[in-house]
Amino acid sequence: MTEADFNTVLPEVVLAVFSMAALLYGAYGGKDKTAPILVWITSAIMVAIALWIGVNGAGVQTGFGGMIVNDAFSRFAKVTILLSGAAVLLMSESYLAKRDLLRFEYPLLVALATVGMMIMVSAGDLMALYMGLELQSLALYVVAALRRDSVKSTEAGLKYFVLGALSSGMLLYGASLVYGYSGTTLFSGIIQTANAGEISLGLLFGLVFLITGLAFKVSAVPFHMWTPDVYEGSPTPVTAFFATAPKVAAMGLFARLLFDAFGGVTGDWGQVIALLSVASMFLGAFAAIGQRNIKRLMAYSSIAHMGFALMGLAAGTAGGVQAMLIYMAIYVTMNIGTFAFILSMERDGAPVTDIESLNQLSKHEPLKALAMLVLLFSLAGVPPLVGFFGKFYVLKAAVDANMAWLAVAGVVASVIGAFYYLRIVFYMYFGEEGNGIDGQMAPIAWAMLMVSAAIMVVGVINLFGIEALAATAADALVK
Amino acid sequence: MGDGGNFLIVIALLPFIGALLPGLMIRAGRTACAIFTALPTALALTLVLILAPAVMRGEVIQAELEWLPQLGLSASFFLDGLGLLFAGMILGVGLLITLYARFYLSGEDPMGQFYTFLLLFQGAMLGIVLSDNILLLLIFWELTSLSSFLLIGYWKHLPEGRQGARIALAVTGGGGLAMIGGLLILGNIAGSYNLTDILRQGDAIRASEWYHLALVLILLGAFTKSAQFPFHFWLPHAMAAPTPVSAYLHSATMVKAGVFLMARMWPVLAGTEAWFYIVSTTGLITMILGAAIALFKDDLKALLAYSTVSHLGLLTMLLGFGTKLAAIVAVFHIINHLTFKAALFMTAGIIDHEAHTRDIKRLGGLRHLMPVTFVIGTIGALSMAGIPLFNGFLTKEMMLEEAAHTVWAGSHLALPVLATLGALLSVAYSFRFISHVFLGPVRDDYPHKPHDPPFGMWAAPALLVVLVIVIGILPAAIAGPLVAVAGGAVIGGGELPYYSLKIWHGITPALFMSVIAVAGGAIVLWLHRPLDRVWITAPRPEAKVIFDRLIAGSVTISRAITEGTHNGAISRYLAIFVVTSVLLGALAFAGGGLGAPTRELLPVPPIFAVGWIMLIVATLLVATLHRQRFQALVLIGIIGLMVSAGFVYLSAPDLALTQISVETVTIMLLLLALHFLPKTTPVESPVSLRLRDAVIAMTAGGGVAGLAYAFLLRDVGTISDYHLANSYEGGGGTNVVNVILVDFRGYDTYGEIIVLGIAGLIIFALMEALLDGPAARRLRNTDYSQNRSRDRHPLMMVVATRVMMPIAVVVGIYIFLRGHNQPGGGFVSGLVIAVALLMQYMASGFAWTQTRQRIEYHTMIGWGVIIAGLTGAGAWLAGKPFLTSSFTYVHLPPIEEFELATAMLFDLGVFLTVLGAVMLMLYSLSRIARYAGETVNVEPMDYDPADTIQVTKEEG
Repeated sequence: MTEADFNTVLPEVVLAVFSMAALLYGAYGGKDKTAPILVWITSAIMVAIALWIGVNGAGVQTGFGGMIVNDAFSRFAKVTILLSGAAVLLMSESYLAKRDLLRFEYPLLVALATVGMMIMVSAGDLMALYMGLELQSLALYVVAALRRDSVKSTEAGLKYFVLGALSSGMLLYGASLVYGYSGTTLFSGIIQTANAGEISLGLLFGLVFLITGLAFKVSAVPFHMWTPDVYEGSPTPVTAFFATAPKVAAMGLFARLLFDAFGGVTGDWGQVIALLSVASMFLGAFAAIGQRNIKRLMAYSSIAHMGFALMGLAAGTAGGVQAMLIYMAIYVTMNIGTFAFILSMERDGAPVTDIESLNQLSKHEPLKALAMLVLLFSLAGVPPLVGFFGKFYVLKAAVDANMAWLAVAGVVASVIGAFYYLRIVFYMYFGEEGNGIDGQMAPIAWAMLMVSAAIMVVGVINLFGIEALAATAADALVK
Repeated sequence: MGDGGNFLIVIALLPFIGALLPGLMIRAGRTACAIFTALPTALALTLVLILAPAVMRGEVIQAELEWLPQLGLSASFFLDGLGLLFAGMILGVGLLITLYARFYLSGEDPMGQFYTFLLLFQGAMLGIVLSDNILLLLIFWELTSLSSFLLIGYWKHLPEGRQGARIALAVTGGGGLAMIGGLLILGNIAGSYNLTDILRQGDAIRASEWYHLALVLILLGAFTKSAQFPFHFWLPHAMAAPTPVSAYLHSATMVKAGVFLMARMWPVLAGTEAWFYIVSTTGLITMILGAAIALFKDDLKALLAYSTVSHLGLLTMLLGFGTKLAAIVAVFHIINHLTFKAALFMTAGIIDHEAHTRDIKRLGGLRHLMPVTFVIGTIGALSMAGIPLFNGFLTKEMMLEEAAHTVWAGSHLALPVLATLGALLSVAYSFRFISHVFLGPVRDDYPHKPHDPPFGMWAAPALLVVLVIVIGILPAAIAGPLVAVAGGAVIGGGELPYYSLKIWHGITPALFMSVIAVAGGAIVLWLHRPLDRVWITAPRPEAKVIFDRLIAGSVTISRAITEGTHNGAISRYLAIFVVTSVLLGALAFAGGGLGAPTRELLPVPPIFAVGWIMLIVATLLVATLHRQRFQALVLIGIIGLMVSAGFVYLSAPDLALTQISVETVTIMLLLLALHFLPKTTPVESPVSLRLRDAVIAMTAGGGVAGLAYAFLLRDVGTISDYHLANSYEGGGGTNVVNVILVDFRGYDTYGEIIVLGIAGLIIFALMEALLDGPAARRLRNTDYSQNRSRDRHPLMMVVATRVMMPIAVVVGIYIFLRGHNQPGGGFVSGLVIAVALLMQYMASGFAWTQTRQRIEYHTMIGWGVIIAGLTGAGAWLAGKPFLTSSFTYVHLPPIEEFELATAMLFDLGVFLTVLGAVMLMLYSLSRIARYAGETVNVEPMDYDPADTIQVTKEEG
């Protein structure tokens, strides 16, 4: 326990200490009246930490005997997590305040979940992995049930908790098997035991159950069952949060575990991940067709997107990891914009989630409709918008790794999936006149929508340079 | 990259930059908008013409800009013959359409927006034909879908436009996405995404195992875009768009993109059987089907739309033949079709604009009212019918000639006959266009009295029909060089096959076929009225209906999937979760290859076998009897005891000790808590569901047990050796479990006691909150009607527990002190003392005991955590990491030498926290009792014998 150890987790420590201090301030200094200011301060600190990590970080530092690894990969993921978390937090303020849901714990739970996610992506040890994962999950269980007087919201929180506990159990079972058969919980130690061709059955079982646990967190099929219910039941800002930062963290952790600890046996997990990927892409695409509720639809959409991101992992190459990172960064940006819009969907002051309420939006709100059109096309992966590049990177990674069948499956799934995104566009432009939405957008949400739509268009020039960053990050992970 | 290259980039960018202008000019009026749209188009066209001589000489102009090199994406363009042809068409027709739209659209329509979309679309089309990178091509490809969506959606107020836009978007957008896969595979085979590189590797690509997949995916993109069967239905539905859009997108440019792609990829993809049968057959079917439907359409634009479908089919069929000559004919027909079809669309637009209807049944006799339009329309239609002296005739002849020589599935006759049929129908609908619209008597019931439009409106189609005639009469001179260079580009260089562009080829089979077609067409038209009746009554597959059914079907399937898996019941989610895990485990097992057992099964002593069986039976009973909560609790007790016994058997007395005390405490607390809950759980799930769950649970449990069994029979490198070796030297204790807890994994323990403390506090806090709310009301109103024992605090028990109290405390201290080396430790001793205290509460009653207990449990927890933390931090003073323990031997006479370890201090923290937490939980739970109306005792015993004795004395 030296200074150097602490330096590797300084950003996490700062955020954690801040959350606890803020918790005390909130508890003794006016309860929910402090919530708005806490939202702003928390987001500001998260952005500041993101900048700090982004600007300052260099090289690889390990702390606590290798339990925490601070490298380009973790920095990339952390910056994505922090920025998206801050964005979602900011745009949720007015929504929650309007519906009397703005508890002072909310920003702090988000901050604590973010700490957990940051630890997840820099975990170098099964213990750190589990600690980060649970810190994140526990905070998320609570925010899912934030609307305590709503049966749906509490049910969502409960379901999430019960299933999450089961998945944690699986993960722990796997972790203990891995520990038992490799004699260490350190990834760097496990990878020495898990060499190509000679992985013991115990380790293999451990790996399978670890994958099971993590697949739940990224909501890959068939461990996705919680997603639609939780997305629908949670208050929309919480749903937006669920759809963004935790997904990045879980994918980051997934990559970390697979490459840092089991990088020597890519063949053993590549097929399993590919299977999860295909199942997620197809189920996500197919099931979304029947959805009328935009939040449920976005849940299935996120399942499908996770399938694509997993495709990058399944490739088992540096190119694949890079593709996955780019995909996640783009996915998060698109989702922030889309949810900024969904937050504003209301009629006579009450939130609506029916996609038919978007009918003829282009007539009343041409600019918003155009921004949504861009985002939805991007989500569908239609060139030339940025979403296409994300898809193309993972498809290319799969083809380059001799998994052309996976890429073709991905293409077919994206064709099916395009249908439901385009249907929303259709409603907005050609829908029948009916009960539309009439809500005013909060300025921040409006800005988020426009900025993310603009990114989808302007980003095609050079993807804002994240390509090179993601490449460095991937190289740090895949040695 | 020379000047030509720079020009090329400018050409590609001009429409996009120009697209900003009309949008900004929106207030300057229609003419200004039109001028600023024409300007970039004209400039780009000029640049193309400047480059044209070099291209005609056979040069290929290239330009490249880096974009995302790692992805293989670069902004590279090239201009060859094919590109020149298409670029000229796109820009030339673009200019004409700009002019036409200026007059066609009314003042109320937002012109700026329209022209912006038009330029965007034009730029995208131009990008497709100039791209030298297939990814770039793909980007422009989808950009056309996007901008055409905006253009089609331009007239939002037309309800019939809605469905059309949706179908168009779904079909072409989906096709484009499918193409991604095809192009990706193509690039992977060729090792480059540059078209010029790919075009050189035709043989490698055709030989690749992925060829067929790539072919199908790419053709999906091309067929959907070019409205080929069975995707032909979207095009007519998109015709609700304003006529300038239809004329530009659906005759001249966008729908040709698919044909362009097939022509572009012709050198690498064509020439195989798969190509021939897929492409030419699709083309043939589309040609005939489109023509047949066109014949019976009453909407002027629908007629033209289906005729376009038919002609696109003709082009596809020609490319599908796979011969060089056919490819060149296709190129020539592209030019011809463009000229007459664009003119016809504009004519239709003029008629619609002037007569306010496009319904052929309501038209007729227009030749007297609109003579100029009549001339233009007739020339266009005659060319479409393939009448000599018009350009349509030339390519129709050549097409029939090609068809006559091509063998389809061993049949020499099939293609020529069917091609003639297509031509015949084509003649019929062309003649119908002339006769039913222009000929016949003047009517007096037009919705609006038609007359010829202003010059600006008919100038564009007029120019086009002049081209129709000029090419028709002097094909070799006017179109010859362009056809040669574009055709050369399609067939991928090499020598051009012999062909001649002229009207009279002598007496050839094609001439006969042509004559039959014209004559037959005239007859069909003559019979149109009865045929129409047959057509209307005849059952036929309506593609749009099929599309709608398909969508409805997939929605149903989708619903079935979601309702099947996501019915909201968590038990189903859990079932899916567990089943998948079991399957994955089985997969791992199957793939892992388990060697033969390396160890013998140890002999099982009968007494332990009984214990294990009890454990299993109790577990099964808990699962079946869990609704009777009291019984379940008893069974859980049995399980705990058996597990403890198991630990004893496996030489882990420490664990056994801990387990048994934890077991005791939890059962007691559970008993207390369950008292206030309903005594049974209602049965809600049907038997079948429970049966399913039972099977799943047994499988999963059996799997885990089997796994453990398999592993235990094999040698493994175990981690216990390390701890055994280092426990004494590193941690100063011979009790390995305790050393692990306080030293090796001191962190975890520290964390755990904090968690335990928090848990205690949370139970306390929750209870405080709960007892303020509705829960308290319910408690108060619940009737706990079961008979209470009259003697709840019996004398014997009170006395026994008081006697036991000091003994228990001593035992606790003993266990605590020996912990480091022998079974015991802070955790267990905390539990033991907690049990001793619990007994007091139970025997003497809560209130009585509580008044005699002076230490706050909250404080106890706090001190525990602080002591443990300080002990850990103390290691820093010695310059060691947090929680490093150290120990020393002390000799204090008269006691013998003994060991003192910092770990003991840490253990003290553990002890205090455990004790505090357990007691706090008890305290919290007991509060419920008081809310439930439990009486509070002041006296320790319900019946105090001392009182009786006193009474007796007084009496005595």
